[in-house]
Amino acid sequence: MQLDFYKQKNSVFLIIFYLVALIVVFINLQDFGIHIEEKYHRLNGLFWLNYIAELFGLTDLQKITEIKIKDISDYTLSPVSVYNKYGIILDLPAAFIEIVFKINDVGQIYYLKHFIGFLLFLISSFFFFRILNNRYKSFYLSFFGLFLYLTSPRILGDSFLYKDVLFLSFFTITLFYFLESIEKLSIKNLILLSFFTALSFNLRIFSIFIPIFFILILVIKNFHLKKNSIIIKKIIFYFLFLIIFTYIFWPYLWEDPLNKFIQLFTSIKNDLINVKILYFNQFIQNRLVPDTFLLTWIFISSPIFQILFFIFGYCFYIMRFGGRYLKIKKNLIYNDLWRSKGEEKDFTIFLIFTSFFFIFLLTNAPFYNGWRLIYFFNIFLIYFGINFLHILFAFYRKSKLKRNSIVFFIILAISYNIYAIITFHPYQSIYFNSFLSQKIISGFEGDYYGLSAKHFFQKISKIDNKKSITIGVASHTPLQRGLEAIPTNLQKKFIVVGQNYEKADYIYKNNISEVNSRLNKKYEIPINFSKIYELKVNKVKIYEIYKLKN
Amino acid sequence: MKLFFYKSILIFVLFLTAFHFSFGYLVKKVKTEFNSVISKEQLEKAKNKIRDEMQNAVKKDSYIKTEDAIIINKFINKIKSDLEKNR
Repeated sequence: MQLDFYKQKNSVFLIIFYLVALIVVFINLQDFGIHIEEKYHRLNGLFWLNYIAELFGLTDLQKITEIKIKDISDYTLSPVSVYNKYGIILDLPAAFIEIVFKINDVGQIYYLKHFIGFLLFLISSFFFFRILNNRYKSFYLSFFGLFLYLTSPRILGDSFLYKDVLFLSFFTITLFYFLESIEKLSIKNLILLSFFTALSFNLRIFSIFIPIFFILILVIKNFHLKKNSIIIKKIIFYFLFLIIFTYIFWPYLWEDPLNKFIQLFTSIKNDLINVKILYFNQFIQNRLVPDTFLLTWIFISSPIFQILFFIFGYCFYIMRFGGRYLKIKKNLIYNDLWRSKGEEKDFTIFLIFTSFFFIFLLTNAPFYNGWRLIYFFNIFLIYFGINFLHILFAFYRKSKLKRNSIVFFIILAISYNIYAIITFHPYQSIYFNSFLSQKIISGFEGDYYGLSAKHFFQKISKIDNKKSITIGVASHTPLQRGLEAIPTNLQKKFIVVGQNYEKADYIYKNNISEVNSRLNKKYEIPINFSKIYELKVNKVKIYEIYKLKN
Repeated sequence: MKLFFYKSILIFVLFLTAFHFSFGYLVKKVKTEFNSVISKEQLEKAKNKIRDEMQNAVKKDSYIKTEDAIIINKFINKIKSDLEKNR
């Protein structure tokens, strides 16, 4: 047997890279705060574990979960039945781990979930690497894509919060098997695709479009292949497994699946919040966001090189696609919209990305907290960016100087991401492009997850030795949930009084308001308070502390 | 069949886009305007404005001009008498 030293060297390089990433994250994990929905996710996991325990007659487990559910209380938390439809993929196993390993420190439970969330993100990055490597057959370009995937500051910051990036992770794996299945409609690929589609669907309802895109691409491919019966059989097979996996991994559907499934769609309108969001220094309704909302957010909160590579890559592909479309004839010896396996992948990615973008645009999808609901778009941004670099390298293959210039920009992009991650730590999820002025940045929402609560409570406990400190909150952020990020003995020191400022010793203020705070004065700091501290990270104001004047 | 499929998709996408950027855009704009006018904060602002005006009125020695006061008085008396007649 002959050893492939080139491949082996690359594998070792990748393993070292992943080990370093894991170690770095493990060391810095507890720097991050607790986000405002942790409590709800824990409750969700325990709720479904209790349901399963009851269903299968596991009385001990049922009793433990019941006790734990009763212990979780928060006056700002809606009943679990209001939001229990989604996301058991991580919540339920985490609740199980919490009970099996008898983890009682709530803070530790959250950090464990952060670590699992990141681990899944790391695993998904390998699938993204494989998508790129299968397409471009270049280890270094694929590795660069993998690096961008992992180090886009907002995405990396959110990867610990196991919400939108968890969907991104599962979507990436789904996309990998999607591309594999398009290339080879094997039973294994179809089962894996249906499995991961079901998991993605469990996390975000709009994954329902994945099977539709799958059929659409197979139909287009079949114009050339002309294997109707085989393709129809495979589609039926895929749907059968998709239904089975969706049902198995979604306890919500176990009783009365059809009606519950329909309810998922009918309840969207009521379940989504209806708030005001800060956008270009104006308060706008989150259900009436302008058409430019998504693109603006993507551009202002993604590293500039990533954006530039994407724009060029996407524009180039549109030109190629336009050319192919115009040349479609009744009888062609090639596929209509692509000429090679690589181009087939480009088309698939283009179709999914563009369709999703237009679906969100044309349905006036409501958004809040920036573009976090569609963080999975980052996959496409990087893919088209790498596509652009691939084209450039091919175009300038004879000019060493020009190739080196491209490498220089790649190194610049890598350095910039590392710089951004370090300077924003541990607030990478609030990253804004460094080229924006402070005035522009302050015109957008900041710490919507309330991650700064941990820093705030630690700061106050350092500057005030009183046994009991009352905290007012001039923000929509439910600050008291952040108390779980600090030790229990410190937690007792704080009493959070919300907007009852007359009772407060200190007031916490960040840039989050669900109402137009210029007209509604509920978050206005009373005149008997003065600012004593402000946490700012690279032009981004995270939060402020106001103290009662003597 | 194939050409029909591609043309149909193109027409469908173009139609949706045109609809969104014409009628859809108009509806969204009206909704946004409507929302900003009757929002809770705007109503609060209007109430505050009325309160301020009333406060100003109370502070002034005479808020209504003498001629206006006479007309308003006559008008109220007229309404009163009409209401009495039709009781």
